[in-house]
Amino acid sequence: MSALLLFRPTRVVSVSVDGKACELPEGMMLATALASAGVRALRTSPRAGASRGAFCLMGACQECAIHVDGVLRQACMTSVRAGMSVELRGVP
Amino acid sequence: MNLGAGRADIERADVIVIGAGPAGAEAAITAAEGGLRVLVLDEQGAAGGQVWRAPVGGFPGKGDAEAAAGAALRERLSASSARALFAHRVWSVVRETPVDGGGAPGFRVDAVGPEGNLSLRAPHLVVATGAHERVVPFPGWTLPGVIGLAAATILLKSHGLAPGRRVVMAGCGPLLVAVAAGLVGAGVEVLAVADLARRRDWLARLPAVLGRPALAVRGAAWSVRATLSGARLLPAHGVRRAEGRDGVERVVLGPVDASGAARAGAETVFEADALVVGHGLTTACEVTRMLRADHRFSRLQGGWMPQVDEHFETTIPGLFAIGDGAGVRGQQIASLAGRRVGLALGARAVSVRAPRSATADFQAVDRQLARARPFSDAMAGLMAQRAGQVAAIGADTVVCRCEDVTRAEIDAAIDQSAGSIDQLKHLTRCGMGPCQGRYCGDTVQELMAVRLRQPREAVGQWTGRPPLRPVSLGELVGSFSYDDIPIPKPAPL
Amino acid sequence: MSRVFDLVVVGGGIHGCTAALFAARGGLSVALVERGALCREASGVNAGTLTMQMTRVALIPYALRAHAMWADAPNWLGHDVGVVVCDGLSLAFTEHEEALLTERAGKRRAAGAPIELITAQQAQRVEPGLGPGVRLAGYCKVDGFANAYLTGLAFRNALLEAGVTLMERTEATGIDPEGLGYRVGTAGAAVRGRRLLIAGGVWIEPMLGWLGVHLPIKVLVNQLAVTERQRPVMRTVLGIASGLLSLKQYPHGTTVIGGGWQGEGDRERGGVALLPDRLIGNVRLACHAIPALAEARIARAWAGLEAETADALPAVGPIPGHPDAYVCGSVHSGYTSGLYIARLLADRILDREPALPLFPIDRLLAQPETT
Repeated sequence: MSALLLFRPTRVVSVSVDGKACELPEGMMLATALASAGVRALRTSPRAGASRGAFCLMGACQECAIHVDGVLRQACMTSVRAGMSVELRGVP
Repeated sequence: MNLGAGRADIERADVIVIGAGPAGAEAAITAAEGGLRVLVLDEQGAAGGQVWRAPVGGFPGKGDAEAAAGAALRERLSASSARALFAHRVWSVVRETPVDGGGAPGFRVDAVGPEGNLSLRAPHLVVATGAHERVVPFPGWTLPGVIGLAAATILLKSHGLAPGRRVVMAGCGPLLVAVAAGLVGAGVEVLAVADLARRRDWLARLPAVLGRPALAVRGAAWSVRATLSGARLLPAHGVRRAEGRDGVERVVLGPVDASGAARAGAETVFEADALVVGHGLTTACEVTRMLRADHRFSRLQGGWMPQVDEHFETTIPGLFAIGDGAGVRGQQIASLAGRRVGLALGARAVSVRAPRSATADFQAVDRQLARARPFSDAMAGLMAQRAGQVAAIGADTVVCRCEDVTRAEIDAAIDQSAGSIDQLKHLTRCGMGPCQGRYCGDTVQELMAVRLRQPREAVGQWTGRPPLRPVSLGELVGSFSYDDIPIPKPAPL
Repeated sequence: MSRVFDLVVVGGGIHGCTAALFAARGGLSVALVERGALCREASGVNAGTLTMQMTRVALIPYALRAHAMWADAPNWLGHDVGVVVCDGLSLAFTEHEEALLTERAGKRRAAGAPIELITAQQAQRVEPGLGPGVRLAGYCKVDGFANAYLTGLAFRNALLEAGVTLMERTEATGIDPEGLGYRVGTAGAAVRGRRLLIAGGVWIEPMLGWLGVHLPIKVLVNQLAVTERQRPVMRTVLGIASGLLSLKQYPHGTTVIGGGWQGEGDRERGGVALLPDRLIGNVRLACHAIPALAEARIARAWAGLEAETADALPAVGPIPGHPDAYVCGSVHSGYTSGLYIARLLADRILDREPALPLFPIDRLLAQPETT
């Protein structure tokens, strides 16, 4: 498991991220879970096209808004569930 | 009228509390103890706010005193008769005059939750929406891997993840020291901690700190632990820039003067994969602003906040504001204020205006509040926005993250805006993006004040508008049939 | 004694700015007094729609000519307001709306608007993003939208280039006839003009009141909302036959939703509150028309004040009893038609014969109160 984790997750589930299967700790917030799997760039900024990722982790900055099961959700407030489908296209 | 899936009517209560952090949860519990019907909402999955975030995803939590306090609060809330609605995002609050001629005027609150839109109504509304982090922009602050101090706290206390393998920390305020110690204690490699404050800024606050011995000891322990870990402690230093391609790879620190602006001196470069940075807290007062309560500006207490009386009531009858959202004063004062409001509302259920002297409980709480103020003011001083730091933001530095707007673009637009912060918004799109101005607002208003040589009071804030949180159209509309939509009379031909 | 301008314009929205611009280009010295920033009220916060399909029948000839001006803005205005010319559809989802649409489209076409009625299938080809349930649609190629919030900046630059004396953040506190002209009081120095134009939007009622003229103006509080950026989901300007939806997606991806749903507010306080049930109703119409919008999030909503006269037709022309004083306002769909109407009035002020009739206010004046 990721060297960044400070504990041993009890359950790990399979999630699809841009079509690729990914094993993430169940119940962890998606933004953090993705970071633990080395995925920190979640979308690009509207004018400059620069890489962006989670910033505030409390639901305020909206940088982590990505598509989960087709719906735009803040990844820092969305729990990882088995079979989740994540698309890193975000708010353009 | 059918508003959405399964929600045909409007739920009523005596008190609605927005925010279940230390302030809001305490207010809800106390009001419920006083016999009132209480609804408390929070967008997170559990009570506790930021300081007492519940552990998630199998992480057992840190198991320290703070974690225990959070668990205790959650326990008390769930044992109380207050009805808690978690994972609900409040997007609209409006004042309502009574419909049938009877009943008190009050508030209608709309929130989107897992089952769609929920509409609530109560004569009393307690707003306890807390604060969010202030980060004064610097080159590279938008790179993935750059996160706030509060964000790092959440990772440590709630998610159980380190921000990176080689972490640099920067910013100011008590949170900086606390998070550094927390990371070091969790075994994370912290390369450096850059504090905008100089040692004498901390020493000047020693009397207030010593008035809270338990915290003083804790603070000293934090500093010792951080020093022993090998982290370089750099007082009077700030971030010059963060660099990297798709994520942070390098952080450059440099000396700053008392105003927070960079001064001449050697830069230090760190190869780091995470930068944890925070420059204080700003009040989240969107609800009271939208309802047009009177607000005042206090740099010390985090910016704009609603004016409240000794009962924490705003200039709008029935609307109360407590916690960091009404002025950044920390957890202890937030909890006390919550209790105070809960008592006031309980007493009010009996009579219209309960005099202070009638209840010994009021006096006890007020005394505790008075005792807690010096420490909280001392800490707040370390977190206040530093004018020099904002004035020194580089021309090409992105200020509005959502819309990629630079300092130079903002300055040019200020000259065309006839002194109107709303016009500035329209010319630059600052404040129109998904974060609704939460992260750029304080900085943009300060930039306007600097350029026009005006006080912040004159510059003002952006007009508060719904939705208070971004909500998807799908969540808002729910399932409906075309005939459900109440169609007003068509326009004349 | 301070300078006497040839024309003082009170009010810096579309009407005031356009009239000031053409008057200045016609050779007059012009001062424009605006209490805030230019085009920050109705002119800056409306939905930006430039459609014939929601325009009053009587205003169609004006709207057609105004549309051409909008489309040509880079030339005569010289600055960008993000005008997009595209197809427009007015939809009918129920039998009642079909009847409404047939009647209204017919009348608008008779007035000169190139609107044809098309089937649901044809509408689907014009707008692939349409939801099911369309029974009939009005189709017009003379349609489109502008970016309302850029209007102020564009006019500001054009007015300064034309030599207009621009006084923003200057609130008019009173107007008095003085000598051969008018004196507009402000918190600072008074502004004097040989001619006067009152173009103060919903505030023309109190302003006319300064001159003892009683013109009741109803204040509409229109709610609007805009989404965050989204992938392209629509390509037309959409409305519903009832007039209760206006919908368009901007090139950068955000979609503006309007339709005249009323919020709470008044002339003194502005738009104070948006009513959630009405916001939801408006948004439901939007999702019914373009289902893909459901994925997007609402970034913000706001309210704008719009003026309406008793017969819902414009108040444009000379002010009775006050030589060389004029009023321009309450056009209804003023953003769409206002450019041309204000230009006509500028011609009148320049002693030229306007190409189309104005809308004299005599018909609207309340009987003066006897005090």
